[in-house]
Amino acid sequence: MVADRYDVVVVGAGGDGPVAAWKLGEAGLSVLVLEAGPFYGNEQWPKPNEEPGGEASSSASDLSGDLLDEQFTAREFEMVTKLLFGPADHERGFWFRKFPGDGAILQCAGVGGTTLHYTGCHPRAYPASIDEQGHWPIDYADLVPYYREIEAMCEVTPAPVTAKEELFFRGAAAAGWDLLDGLNVTDPGYRPQPNAIRQPDPKLHVDAGYDGAFTYPDVEGDTLALGDIAGNPHPRGAPYEEKAKRASNVSFVPAALQTDSVTIRPNAFVTDVLTETPLGDTPTATGVRFRDTWSGRTEIVDAEVVVLAAGAIETPRLWLNADLPANEWVGRGLTIHFGDNVMGLWDADDLEERLGKETVDQHEGQDIAARFDYPGLGMLQTVGTAPGIGAILGFGASASGFAFQNDPADAPWDSTGRLAGTDLKRLLADYRRMLQVLVVTDDRPHRRNGVTVSPALSDEHGPIPLVNFEPSEGDRKRRDELAEIAAEILREAGAAHVHRSDSPPTALHVHSTMRMGKVVDEACEAYDVERLFVADHSALANGVGGANPTNTGQALAARTADRIVDRHF
Amino acid sequence: MKLATAWRSLLRWVDAFRRALTSLVELLAEGFGFRADVDVHTMVTFRAVADAVLPETPGLGAELGAEHVPGGVAIDLDEFVVTYVNDGFQLGLPYVGPLGNVPLADPIAQVLDAAALRLIDRGEHASEPSDDRPVSLLDPGEASPREIRSAAGAFSKLSRRDRLRAIGLLDEFEFTVSPVGDDLFEFDAGLVGQLVIGFTEMIYYSEWQGYDEFTCPPSERVHPNDPAAVQSWRQTGFPGFANGYAALRGYVGTDHGPLGDGPVWTTIDADATAPVRLARESGSFRENDYDTSGYEEPYPE
Repeated sequence: MVADRYDVVVVGAGGDGPVAAWKLGEAGLSVLVLEAGPFYGNEQWPKPNEEPGGEASSSASDLSGDLLDEQFTAREFEMVTKLLFGPADHERGFWFRKFPGDGAILQCAGVGGTTLHYTGCHPRAYPASIDEQGHWPIDYADLVPYYREIEAMCEVTPAPVTAKEELFFRGAAAAGWDLLDGLNVTDPGYRPQPNAIRQPDPKLHVDAGYDGAFTYPDVEGDTLALGDIAGNPHPRGAPYEEKAKRASNVSFVPAALQTDSVTIRPNAFVTDVLTETPLGDTPTATGVRFRDTWSGRTEIVDAEVVVLAAGAIETPRLWLNADLPANEWVGRGLTIHFGDNVMGLWDADDLEERLGKETVDQHEGQDIAARFDYPGLGMLQTVGTAPGIGAILGFGASASGFAFQNDPADAPWDSTGRLAGTDLKRLLADYRRMLQVLVVTDDRPHRRNGVTVSPALSDEHGPIPLVNFEPSEGDRKRRDELAEIAAEILREAGAAHVHRSDSPPTALHVHSTMRMGKVVDEACEAYDVERLFVADHSALANGVGGANPTNTGQALAARTADRIVDRHF
Repeated sequence: MKLATAWRSLLRWVDAFRRALTSLVELLAEGFGFRADVDVHTMVTFRAVADAVLPETPGLGAELGAEHVPGGVAIDLDEFVVTYVNDGFQLGLPYVGPLGNVPLADPIAQVLDAAALRLIDRGEHASEPSDDRPVSLLDPGEASPREIRSAAGAFSKLSRRDRLRAIGLLDEFEFTVSPVGDDLFEFDAGLVGQLVIGFTEMIYYSEWQGYDEFTCPPSERVHPNDPAAVQSWRQTGFPGFANGYAALRGYVGTDHGPLGDGPVWTTIDADATAPVRLARESGSFRENDYDTSGYEEPYPE
């Protein structure tokens, strides 16, 4: 089923690889996409975590909403364990990556990649981060037509308001910030998330008295059930392509398969990039070697062009493990949106006054539907979580020890640090009266931060990624200022207690390890290897200002696909 | 126990590359009988973790209600955490067992003891360690008091809060190992803290307790999705996973901009130049002109 040779091989079916595959397939090129993880919701793999299943999928008719419903249970612990970066086989643990301190890298394996647990947030980069920060060799204007193309494909619209968003907007307005209504953000303010989640059925309005089923076809679009981080299969009963959250497996994978030029092979971990080097010339990519994660068998496939889209950790790892030319920026310049969590807790009376009910109920509505933008600093966004994910993100880790060891004194928060024991249980007893705000910092690329490998630390796919991240003084100041703004918004919204995690560096958004202008040129073709392109978030020249990176990564991948066709076909 | 020794234990997998290291092979050979017969030291240590991170809290009973009293030990959280950390990470190398998973519970327990000893060395513990604490953590049927005293390490002898203080010290631990030749790697023990605090909290507050058996194949897992089956859901008020909620309040916007359209449901900011409201329909974002020439870097690099 999988041929020996294609026009293009794409390494990785994550957020961005399927975008490039779709565009290349539309151009009539034969494309093979190799994905390390499983393919959920596909009839070729009815039990993707238990049996090897089929070899590859080339037809949109293989996609099954029923199977996705069965496999994406929405239960948070099960789904996090299922989706995090590891092999399909449920009996085997995560693939190990070394990350400093008690932070972690949160990436997924599987067709859809990390968009399987992303929250649908699809804002554009802040224009100034492209045009004024000095990292990018292209202009924001170059990306705008591609943003439009991606936003249309992903059906990006203003996110709906439930109680938690209303509370945040009330706080932001009371703190003196303005509502923003543009897609190209140059000033601070608050706005609904531009989300790639179909808007909810109007019958789900609180006043509409709806008491029917929350399944398709009774309800179409978003059902306002929390659970994007756990995969969001809603509305249940809907065909695969009609799922509300437009993760890349739902938005771009069906479109790619419908070109009849694209084949996706999951459970295929690429371990080498093959090249030929005419005497004294620059190497040219000719194909890849990959390993079947079930059988362990190794295969080779040839291609006219190789596209790396394995994500900002695995793409540089692959380059470093393949025998490709040294480039001092491969793997370097990592940005992770050095984040933090600021939590508000409310008294019932104060909520009643503002919301007309005594609870926030963060488990209702979209996970992340309200935001605050501040070009130059980064962003804030409200986060609803089920209690387990909320506990680990909000309270499980801190760079400043346990809360009982800290006295915040004059700080704008009442407590700071990690929580455990009685303190944790008391606080989580108020789960339905709390709201978490995620601080997302516009951290800047530095060469010291990034991915390296050593032959001494290997797994079955070669030396594992060793990740380093140490925020700069500027990164810390930006984060501190955002955390203070978050605390003020929560206070203005009536929070009785504000807690700051002071989170250790944790990689939720991962980018800029194969930067345009350093490792790849303006078309995202490697300076040092011909016919080798990068089409994932690693090619971003910086952290796009702190805005959620999916839209920009996908826009750039779409642009790169056009450049591939122009240059080589 | 010396800290470096404990850390080398945690990183035994590093040494997997030197296949000649027979102790590792022996460890792994034992690995698959491990869950059926967990080492008493490991069992006591993880019980002490669960007891410190999610303790039984009689005080909260009076304050918040009887459902807030039981903690992690009451639902065997520690046993599952041991299983989880033993199955959770793999290197996929054929000589590291058939699945390539690396059992981490034993070495983590040793690292926790090392951290406890450092806390005591520094005099930063608030209560004196006691042999009675590990004994009280196990039921008489699980091991004899004598057996427990002989197996228990320093960590399990600390008070609950001192155990947390000891875990807090892990962030300071840095190690250098040189598994092959001249390559030097620096590690910190943060992963241990992440597993025993972060993951333990996530497991406890998630749906985990409700499964008949989490370790069975995903297609065979059964979960009642009912707070009656999940202690932590009764403590947080989480109602279980739903297919949807009729919770829509509308869309934020103003009368003057493109966001928010149709009848107004409520007002968010009446004082703004263009009052901000929640309307029935979403409107859309503006494809606005932008000018970045006035951009000023708040904190230049």
